[in-house]
Amino acid sequence: MNKTSRVFLITSAVLFGILIIALFRLQVIKGKHYQRVAESNFVRIRRLTATRGEIYDQKYRPIVQNIPSHNLFLLSGKIQDLPALARFLSLNFEITEQEVTDMVLGQRFRTYEEILVVDNVPFEKMLSVSEHLNYYPELVFRIGSTRDYLYPNHYTGYVGRINEEEYERYRAEDYSINSYIGKTGLERYYEVLIRGQDGREIVQVDAQGRSLGLFQKGGYIEPLNGLSLVLTIDNELQDFANRIFPAGIKGTVVVSDVRSGGILAYISKPDYDPNLFMQRITPEIWEELNSEDKPLMDRVIHATYPPGSVFKPVTAGLGLQKGVITQHTRLKSCIGGMQVGTRFFRCWDHSGHGTSNVVEALMRSCDVFFYDLSMKLRLDDFHAYTLASHLGTKTGIDLPNEREGFFPDTAWYRKTFGRNVGIMGHKVNLSIGQGEVLTTPLQMNAYFAAIANGGTWIQPHLLKQTVGRARLTRQQVERVQKKQLPFSQADLRIIQEGLFAVCNSPYGTARSVQVPKAQTFGKTGSAENFMGKRTHAWFCGYIVTDKPEIAVTVFMENAGGGAAMAAPVARQIFDFYMGNIEDIKRPAVLPPQFRSAEDLDPDALQPSGQDDEPEPGLKQENREEIHPH
Amino acid sequence: MKKFILINHKKFDFILLGMLVVLIAVGFVAIFTASTTAISDQVITANHWWKQIIFAGIAFLAIALLLKLPMPIFDILVLPAFVLNLLALILVLFVPTVGGAHRWFSVANVHFQPSESAKLLTILMVARYITKENLSEYKQILYGLGIMIVPVILIMIEPDFGTTLVFWASLMAMFIAAEVPLFFILLMISPVVSVMASLHWLGIVIWIAVLVFLLMRAGLSWVAITVASIINAFIALITPVFWMGLKDYQQNRILTFLDPTRDPLGAGYQIIQAKIAIGSGSITGKGWLLGTQKNMNFLPEHHTDFIFSVIGEEFGFVGSMLIILLFFAFFARLIHCVFQLKVRERKVATAGIMAYLMFQTFINIGMNIGLVPATGIPLPFISYGGSNLLINTISVAVILKYLNERGFIK
Repeated sequence: MNKTSRVFLITSAVLFGILIIALFRLQVIKGKHYQRVAESNFVRIRRLTATRGEIYDQKYRPIVQNIPSHNLFLLSGKIQDLPALARFLSLNFEITEQEVTDMVLGQRFRTYEEILVVDNVPFEKMLSVSEHLNYYPELVFRIGSTRDYLYPNHYTGYVGRINEEEYERYRAEDYSINSYIGKTGLERYYEVLIRGQDGREIVQVDAQGRSLGLFQKGGYIEPLNGLSLVLTIDNELQDFANRIFPAGIKGTVVVSDVRSGGILAYISKPDYDPNLFMQRITPEIWEELNSEDKPLMDRVIHATYPPGSVFKPVTAGLGLQKGVITQHTRLKSCIGGMQVGTRFFRCWDHSGHGTSNVVEALMRSCDVFFYDLSMKLRLDDFHAYTLASHLGTKTGIDLPNEREGFFPDTAWYRKTFGRNVGIMGHKVNLSIGQGEVLTTPLQMNAYFAAIANGGTWIQPHLLKQTVGRARLTRQQVERVQKKQLPFSQADLRIIQEGLFAVCNSPYGTARSVQVPKAQTFGKTGSAENFMGKRTHAWFCGYIVTDKPEIAVTVFMENAGGGAAMAAPVARQIFDFYMGNIEDIKRPAVLPPQFRSAEDLDPDALQPSGQDDEPEPGLKQENREEIHPH
Repeated sequence: MKKFILINHKKFDFILLGMLVVLIAVGFVAIFTASTTAISDQVITANHWWKQIIFAGIAFLAIALLLKLPMPIFDILVLPAFVLNLLALILVLFVPTVGGAHRWFSVANVHFQPSESAKLLTILMVARYITKENLSEYKQILYGLGIMIVPVILIMIEPDFGTTLVFWASLMAMFIAAEVPLFFILLMISPVVSVMASLHWLGIVIWIAVLVFLLMRAGLSWVAITVASIINAFIALITPVFWMGLKDYQQNRILTFLDPTRDPLGAGYQIIQAKIAIGSGSITGKGWLLGTQKNMNFLPEHHTDFIFSVIGEEFGFVGSMLIILLFFAFFARLIHCVFQLKVRERKVATAGIMAYLMFQTFINIGMNIGLVPATGIPLPFISYGGSNLLINTISVAVILKYLNERGFIK
């Protein structure tokens, strides 16, 4: 054996000697200690769920609140008898034995993680079940929080347990299988802001509550609570609009602040109660939610409709912009309709309007004027102009899954109907907002608000600011887009004059829409459609005091004429607004609990969803300075 | 007849092969129990263990092919394979990160770590170039470092600090086998010791005294000893200054690396759980498939890096000892093999391979029992993982091949 091999042998003997000594110490000398630790699974990392931000209206009145809830958790690694457990759970909760078994086996490689079996257990139920829990050490009740939606609406959306697909997708963002996640509406759109950041805590106490002392430092990461949202919504206006909307009619009301683009009321009927989703949904409720009336559908942005006559300002604006007409141009005389090629296009008023200029045409909503005007316009200009007016394209409101709407161009007709399609007839139809054009009620609202606002289109939005851990304005969260619509100031004034005449001239279609102390502007529409015999009723308008105030869009599916059905609702809203204008516009005082992000009540930072107190010592040490030597 | 061509019965090391087979078989057993979960009366085993059997089959096929490959062709292939491997190490830096590092090429669920094969190829390259005729010690060291530094830097960038340590361990072993005087080795590792000694002024004094003593015994000139001790003293004294210059989070990162219990929610958690599992195994263990800690799945990687914790829990101190002694016998056999070989290049390569396997074994078991930081180094032959098993087995196959083809002089 030479020197070199001795070096190797000695080195390996030393290394393995070290391992043997360490193992002897660990397994033989301290074996009993570690057995005790192992038997009760003391050491484990526990997630401290962050409290989700709440949602308030512009006056800090609550819309969505957190309320405490009792949740039943299961630790599958501790299960003694799975069939018995499944039977017990199925007897007490609306969950089948098969579901329990699947849940447990689906988690078989993460048996140390608690599974949320039933959430929002009613208090009495919790008491009765708790009596049996000593037979099931794997089950434990923990206090968490759940959402309370204060009124039915379509914009808050709702939260729900994360599903498998979402879990796979957002895993990197620290979701657990028990996490809640925003499913729709603002809850989803602002998930990142509302959710906060879960904390972590290492649990290292034995059954008697003594610290095992395995870790000296750290071991506690505070959960960061989510930001609360303050919306532009005004609960009182929302409530009023909700109350006056005729029962049994499907449709929407959108009220927006012309100068900020903030939405004050957002109603889609029929509506649903988001709280339904906080419990297990029974088949009957599920059927109701998926009935023909589609209460789950947000008709403000998730449905598109032919705009009908409320689209006429667009046609008029393009005619003025292209110089095809001036304020005084009188087009073809209305004889109750107009012959285009082989087809006779009817005006809504079969007795005819005679000749009109653009203001009169808007006022009386004369179809023939727009038919004739459209024949002098190119379809592709029309397409470009509509999109530039931000119709037939997403507004970018802060809600998920907004629909685009549609306005066709020549290429589309050629693709759909063949190369030799006659464009003329389609164009005539489009000029009065019929045919292929589709818009959402929100797009129309933003368009009319832009007319009121001197041609400046502002992206409609719901979020005003956040409060809580950080105070961010909507601009800081995401820039609100502003855009000049393609109006010259002179053309804009002509359109406004037309809209004024609609409400104020004795010949206007919406003469009833007048309010004291303000000028009303508007346009009615009765859009023919394939969904039913009756027309969709539209009213889009706004009011101006010394400056423009609010824009209101009322839309009713297959409810009849716009003047008869939609306009009165708008008038009541204008009335209510003017009657309460001081209240609505008075700046709200920031409630004390939001005064300073740092001075938040320490209780609010207590982790929810956990029943044990974090060890106070751990938290302290966490903040200690670290000295290297 | 065919078998005769494959192995030379007189020279083939059946003992080494036998130990290799036993180690891999122990791996199957450990992986089987590590991936078995029992919930109430439901016992579920993930399919890792038979995947590992398939990997082992492929690995043994590779041994057969390697033994059949004529030695001259094997010698020619080393350099291009090394260059290709370096390219792969560069390319992998452009692959999207997995778990914060660019380590893997993943094609259709097959993951390949170029740093694994780099270990073997770098050892073969270094062995070849430091054993050239008529090299001075300085040139040997220079060549060795020069070849080693390229893959090491590339792997550092990934980043995979643990793997680079393996390279240094085998480089030292190769220098020793190449008969570079021991004081050179001492000089090379002295700065590392100086940094560690800087924790306390007394440590510095003792260390410098020991260093001077050892160098004197090696018969170095006074000038060399003075220079070496001044440099080391300087390093020891500058370390605290350097330390203070680090940002808090950088200091924390290093401290946590050295003492994982400082990070209970990260690396410390895993190590504590491994310690609880092994410790609770006590003397005789809880029995095959009966581990409770592994059953609770506290350790996410217990069929890979933390497989030793499952062995320790289920087979206790007795089982752990058997594994450790098996490994020790295996490495003793490898050391024996080193001195069976007369061609210097092969001898040095064998020493390098022995050192890399031994270092990984020590680091992995040490990590499981909380002796050394968690570095993500698997336990050779036993941890689950295809590319790792393949490269380790091929490394042993290279030694088997050297033994098989050694000359008739002995």
